[in-house]
Parts: sequence; C-alpha cells; structure tokens
Amino acid sequence: MMDAALLSWLLVGTPLLGALVNLFFWSNADHLKLSSILWSAISFGSLIGFAGYLAMPPEGLLPLYLLPLTAVVSLLAQPARDDYRQSCTMTLVLLGLGLSVLTSQPVVGSLALAVLLFILAILLYRHHSALWPMSWWGIGTYGLGAFCALLTVGAGPPVSSMASLVACAVLLPLMPFHDGHLTALTRLPGSLPAFIVVLLPIAGLHGLPSVLQTVPDTVVWTVTFFALLGALYGAIKALAQSRVRLLLAYGSLSFFSMLWWFVAATRTATPRAALMVGTVGLATSGLLIAWQVVRTRYGDDIDPQAVSGLASGMPQYAVLLSLLALAAMGLPPFGVFAGFMGLLLSSPFPSTLGLFITLLAWLTSSWYIMQMVQRLLFGTQRQDLRYTDLLMTELASLVMAVLVLLALGLAPTTLFGTDHTRSQTSVKESLTWNR
Amino acid sequence: MMANPGTLALVALLSPVLSFLVLSIVFPLRRLGRPAAWFSILCAAVAFASAVMAWRIQSVAAHPVHLVWPWLPSAGKTLADVGVFVDAQSSIMLCLVSLVALLVQFYSVGYLHDEPAGALGRYYAYQSLFAFSMMGLALAPNLLQLFMCWELVGLCSYLLIGYWYQRESAARAAVKAFWITKAGDVGLLVGIVMLWRLTGTFDLAELHSLAATNAGPLAGLSIITFCIYLGAMGKSAQFPIHLWLPGSLFAPTPVHALLHAGIINAGGFLINRLAPLFALSSTTLHVAFVIGTLTAILGATTMLAQNDIKKTLGFSTIGQMGYMIMECGLGAFSLAVFHLIAHGLFKATVFLNCGNVIHKARQEPHFPHVDHQTDEEGMSRLTWITGSVTTLLTPLFILLLTHGVLRIPLLESQGTVIFLFFIWITSSQAILTLTRLRQVASWKVSAAMLMTLLFVVFVYLFAVESFTAFLYPDPEKVASYFKAAALPDWLFDLIILAATILMVASWSYLYLTAHGRTLRMPAWIDALRIRLYLPFMNRLYGDELHQLLGDTIMRWVHQFDKRERGWSR
Repeated sequence: MMDAALLSWLLVGTPLLGALVNLFFWSNADHLKLSSILWSAISFGSLIGFAGYLAMPPEGLLPLYLLPLTAVVSLLAQPARDDYRQSCTMTLVLLGLGLSVLTSQPVVGSLALAVLLFILAILLYRHHSALWPMSWWGIGTYGLGAFCALLTVGAGPPVSSMASLVACAVLLPLMPFHDGHLTALTRLPGSLPAFIVVLLPIAGLHGLPSVLQTVPDTVVWTVTFFALLGALYGAIKALAQSRVRLLLAYGSLSFFSMLWWFVAATRTATPRAALMVGTVGLATSGLLIAWQVVRTRYGDDIDPQAVSGLASGMPQYAVLLSLLALAAMGLPPFGVFAGFMGLLLSSPFPSTLGLFITLLAWLTSSWYIMQMVQRLLFGTQRQDLRYTDLLMTELASLVMAVLVLLALGLAPTTLFGTDHTRSQTSVKESLTWNR
Repeated sequence: MMANPGTLALVALLSPVLSFLVLSIVFPLRRLGRPAAWFSILCAAVAFASAVMAWRIQSVAAHPVHLVWPWLPSAGKTLADVGVFVDAQSSIMLCLVSLVALLVQFYSVGYLHDEPAGALGRYYAYQSLFAFSMMGLALAPNLLQLFMCWELVGLCSYLLIGYWYQRESAARAAVKAFWITKAGDVGLLVGIVMLWRLTGTFDLAELHSLAATNAGPLAGLSIITFCIYLGAMGKSAQFPIHLWLPGSLFAPTPVHALLHAGIINAGGFLINRLAPLFALSSTTLHVAFVIGTLTAILGATTMLAQNDIKKTLGFSTIGQMGYMIMECGLGAFSLAVFHLIAHGLFKATVFLNCGNVIHKARQEPHFPHVDHQTDEEGMSRLTWITGSVTTLLTPLFILLLTHGVLRIPLLESQGTVIFLFFIWITSSQAILTLTRLRQVASWKVSAAMLMTLLFVVFVYLFAVESFTAFLYPDPEKVASYFKAAALPDWLFDLIILAATILMVASWSYLYLTAHGRTLRMPAWIDALRIRLYLPFMNRLYGDELHQLLGDTIMRWVHQFDKRERGWSR
C-alpha cells in the first residue's frame, strides 16, 4: 500500500523536476518545448497509474486528469521560439503547484495555492505591452487571492471560511473578483493562458465544498446573486468585444458564473460540476490556442474581420475552430453540454428567474462565439494574405482538445467519481405525478 | 434478426452516420467530390430501404419496439438511455426523412455538377449529418436524445444554409437561422428540464403511459408544454420567429427542398411526439391554435405579394406550417402528421422543380415566357355557376356526407368542423384563382372540376381516417384530444360565422366587380388595400425589424460596455 502523502509529493515533484530539467535546454527552444511536453505526459501517465491510491475528492478525479492533459495540449500548440521558453517552463511549475493543491493535505495545498497565485501576480507584473497595458486590478486580485489562501492556514473560523471563499472566487472567477481571470487570459504569454483557464477554476472548485458548507446562508445568497449577475455581465461584455482574447475571457466568466449558481444551490461540488468546469476551461483553452494560431501568423490583437475567409485558406483550422466553438457554446454532443445538462438536472433551482438568466447567458454564448467564428472563417479570401494551414503540432493540439471534449460529452460522469448528491427528482422512484 | 423493426431502424439511423464519418475522416474520398456523393447516396438508399422495411413490419406489430442501451447512470439508476424507439409515428417519419434525404442527395449530383470537388464532398458530409440528425430525432426513445438530435438539426441547417459561405449574404442567413432557432431551443430545454423535474423520467413511452393514467390537469404542465411549444415554433417557423426561413434563400435549391420538407417538420413532429402531454393542457393547445392560425394567414398573404420564386415558396411553407400547428392546436394530431408528410413530399418536389426553372431561366433569356393577355371580357354564366356551386354548395354536401357516411360526430368534434371550413376556404381560393384565369370554359371542364374536388376531398377524408386509425388505434384517445382542444362555444361559432361571411362576401364582391357594378365602399378601405400590399410585399418588414432589434440590442450592449470600462483594459 502506497502512502498517499508520498504519492502526492511524487505527483507534484514530476512536473517540477521537469521545470528544473528545462533549465538545461534553455539555449534550445525546440528541445525545451519537447522536454516540457514529455514531462507533462509523464505526469499524466503517473496520474493514471496512481489515481487509484489517491483519496477521492467530492468532485471526482476528472480535474486531476485534465490538468496534465491541458498542459500537453497548450504546450503542443506553442511555437518553439526563444521568447516562449519561460511560458513553457512556467506551465510545468504551475502544473506541479496545481497538482499539489488538488492532492496534498489542506495546509500544504493552501500554501501551494498562495505560491501559485503569487507567481501569477508576478508574471502579470512582468508581462504587459502597449496593446495590453499593465492591470493593477488583475495583479491586486491575485495578490488578494494569495493573501486569502495564506489566511485560511493562519486564521480560525469564520475568517478562514470567508478567506477561503474569496480565494475560490478569485480562482473560479466570480464577480467582483474576476479581474485576475480577465487579465491573465489577455496578458500572459505563450501557452500560459490556455493552461491556467483550466488550472485555476479547477483549483477553485476543489476548495468550494468545504467552504460552502461552513458559510452562513446570507453569504450563500450573496454568492447566488453575484453568480447570476456575473453570468449576465460576462455574456453582455463578451457580446461587446471585438478583441478575441477579451471575448473568450468574458465568455468563460459567464459560464463559470453559471456554475457558481448551481454549486451555491447544492453547496457541494459534484463530478458533474467538475465536468462543467473542466470542459468550459478546455473549450476556452482550445479557442485560445486556435486564436494563438492566428496571432502567430498575422500578429497580436488583429481584428478577426481583417483575416476573413480562413475557411477556404485553412480548411483544417476552420473545421477544428468550428468544433471548438460548438463545444464552447454548450452544444451537444460535447462536454460543456453534458456538464450543463447534468447541473440543470441535479441542482435544485433557488428561483425560476435564476434559471431564466442562466439560460439567457447560455443562449447569448451562441451569439458572440458564432459571431467570432463567422468573422474569422467566412467571407472571401484576401489576396494580400498568405494562408498556411495548421502545422502538425498545432493540429495535434486542437484535435486532442476536440476529442477530449467529445469523449467527456459522451462518457458517463460516474467514470470519474460517484455522485453522492441525489437530485430532488430522482428520489421519486414511483414515477408518479406531482399533483 | 433482421426482421426486427428496431434493428432495421438502427440500420437506417447508422447508415448516414457512417457516410458522415467516412466523408469527414477519409479526406481523399471527400475531396474527390462525385465518388463521395455516390457513397453518401448509397448510404441514404440503404437507410430508406431499411426504413421502409421497418415501417412495414411495425405497421402490423402489436407493440412499439424499444431498442436501447443505458447511457447516463445517476444515483443507482439510468438517467437516460440511448437507442431507438420504433412505433407507428416514428417509423413513418423515418420513411419520410430517409426518402427526402435520398431524393435531395440524388438530385444534387446533377444540380451541383459544377461545384469544386472538395466543396461537393463537404456538401454530402453535411447532407449525411442532416439525415442522421433528423432520423435520430424521429427515433429518439427519450427527450434527452431528442434534444441532442434537435440541436444537431439546427447545426445542420446552419451548415447547409451557409454552404456558399464565401458569399456574405449566405453566411449572414446561416447565422440568422442558427440564432433564431436557438432562441426557440432555450424554451425546449426549459420544458424538458421542468418535465423531468415533474415526472423523473425522459423516456417517451413512460411519459405517454403517465399521461394516460393521469387524465386531469397537472400543476405546471401548461408552462412546460408551452416551453416545449416554443421550441417547435422556432423550428417550424411560426410567427413571429419565422424569419429564418425566407432569409435562407441564398442556399442551394436542393437545400431548400431539405429545409422545407425536412427540418421545418421537426416542430410538428415534436408536438405530435408529446401529444398525450399536450392533450392535458388545453391552454397550450389554444395558444398553438391562435399562433398557427396567425402564421397561416400571414404566410399565405405574404406569399401572394412576393415576386421571387424562392420567397413565394418559402412563405407558402410558413403558411402550411401554420396550418399544421393549427391542426395540433385543434387536437387533430394525426392530421398534422398526415399534413406534414403530404406537404413534405409536395414541397420537396416543388423546390427541386424550382431549381430546374431557375437553371433554365439563367440559360434562356426569354424564360419564363410571358402569357398573352386574353382580351376576353367578363365571365360566362357557366363560370359563375361552377364557381359558386363549388365554393358555396359543395362544402355543405361534404359536411352532410361526412356526418352521415364517415360517421364523424361533427356536433361533438369542433376540430373536424373547423377543418372542413378550412378545406372549404383553401379549395375556394384555388377555384377563385381558376375562375379569374378564365379556365372554366365548358360544361366538361366544370363537371371535371366539381368531380375532382369531391374526389380529392373524400379521398383525403378517408385517407386521414385510415391514417388516424394507424397512428392512434384507440378512438377514445383521438376523441379525448379533440375534447381537450375544444374552444369556447362562442369562439367556435364566431370562427364558423366569420369563415362563412368571408367566403360569401368574396364571391359577391368578385361577381359585382366583374359585372361592372360599383360597390359603395368607404374610401379608406380602398386605400387600405393598396397600403397593405406594400408591407406584405416587404414581408411585413420582418427582416428590417429583426435588424433593428439586433442593432438596438448591440447599441445597448456597447453603451453598457463603454460605461463599464472594465478594469482589465
């Protein structure tokens, strides 16, 4: 029988060791990228091998599998260039810290979380440009998250509960603590945005069950209110964006806010919630990677309408982008739809208005995502642009994202953990009508 | 083994999905164009043959066939299965969908012969996905699978309308269709979730049996059925969310045949699939009746004022869908399915023929030929006698025969009476058109016209009766549907009275104006007639209103975005 603590250190140590090894390849960007992918793959393999020995968290094992998988997906699509060496290595560091948050004892996990958020704040401080100026709000939010993560270790209840809730709201973005999420997705370089859009929300969801069961009802109601507000706010802001990274950031905020609403109603995190978080994150990650493909060819922050007609010039890219968009807007048979339906069916709705707002936000997503896809793919090809379809690594990365989203949409959620919550309706075994 | 209708239906369902997967994955085959097309057609033919065999076996079987596998486990039981549910309704729908898919795919080989090979392969991949989605919708054993196929159908309509995506108009129409139908889908999703919360099951057979054992009104069922009806409204292009259909005229003509004979029927099919539930909610049926009637009237009227062949046919479909939903609203669910099949086959033929006309018009500058205006003035006595007998006296004869020979209890069945009146109005419209075109020239023609009308109406009535017995063998169930949809007496009387006055007044007006009599009409009525023509020609400015709504929402969104600067900028 393997010791769980030792196993946790082993899982955490693998990607961190990979980050150290990367230093030896610092002068060769190709080798460094390959090394990062290999260490992420080893991490994934070791997780599959040792998952049976780990304690099953309430949200199941899916988040654990998704982290190294997303690291591989995001690293694969990254160009092997000198200016992306840091992001490759930081992906491994963040993967290690993320695995620590999910598998370690609460105290160690909180400390790892604080370090993770602190590193992100530093990265945000360092990475900004004329197009994306420094955002002190984003840095401050991650700073606050790191401080709250430390408070959960040092302070007693109820301060620790509230601090933990704020840390979760920073990680799994909830208004008004969503700025870190927006800033990170728009400012961080290379593969990092595509990775942390999965990592942070999963880490946030992991901490939620213990927090929501200890906070008073008024706090839960406040969370519910901000969740609905966030769902609507994210959808409206996404509609208004012409910059793709901001659009995706606001869009994912809207979906994560929907999840907050469901989770606040049940006061726990189920495998269905993990499915929703993981797939929303992965779909957004896939779209960020797809946008990165355009950025590497035509420059940062280009207007999507300016590179129209990609459907003819880059057919493989067009197909994969369309599939990712369908997944991101919550259409079947992809995982986001399965997660969304799972939550719809298993959570007691506090209000019909909430359900209406949630579905309105879901509907709006098909508007802004479809608009973005249409701008990029449709229309006539420009004669002055050179269209180069996906490179092998980019293709592999996007195909992996699509296949995982498809598999998660079709596979039963019980594959990754048992749902201990029994929905209100499923209790009625006798199949009688409510009169 | 193969004699099992479930297995045959499964073969029909999986044939197009095989075609889609092969064309999607095997790039070289897809890029060859015509071989890809023939492979897809072969799969569609297999699907049609299997569908017909499944229908033939199912039509003599005593019970529906459930062929399912557990899919989503939850709390110790299966949340939803995946598989096929073959009964009279789904088997006949399967035949229709597979036939239309086969015909359209076969026709497209010739119609799209000058398309680039790669694009043709892509077109057939979309066609195969569409066939699978529609068949999956028809065969779904539960609402969850039905919703998934429903969404796929929406996606297919987007892909097919936007097939020529290089053209801005086609791309815009595709997105418009996607958005509008998606808005209806939200209603359907809410309805499904609420129904699941009420009953604890997605399974259609269980829902039917639950509805049969609980004949009284249920708390919340009206809202649930109304939400589900919203989904049907979107797909079946009901007023006011009908704009996606006429907007799709930039798609290839075979796609139109598919839209008008396939996708648009999904709404009617959905209501029919849940007929036992709708029958428990009179309010929703009445709403469906009102909206259906409104759609039928607006669709038919707008159609008359169009000068584009595709738009004319598009609004004709909207009008027909209005009729179909109206039939559902009156509790005549089997009639709606009959209508759906008849209209599907008819409209597919018309659209495929319309493609030929458009092709010919492009090649021959003098086509279509302008008819010579006859100098004949006035109309003969024979014309008037034939017209008035056909439109004013024959319906009474039909009513009496229906009551006496077919033994349809007209006094207890409001729906049948309303239908007979609608048949009257529709056939009168045709007769009026013929009369105005002065096609009634001899006694032989007059007699032939009268006999044909009687023959058609009686065959139709017998066919509908037989079809109803096939779909719903229990006459009590059919009667209960009619009873649930019964309108208040005063409204029923009003509808009958209004229809009668409308017909008699139309004939009187036509007769008097043809004989040079002047009618003392207020000036504003004449002015109104002229004024109404323009809005109907412009499709009641629906597209402009849609654009305005979209622009207004986006203006608000941008104003909000501007005021809320966002800390991340």
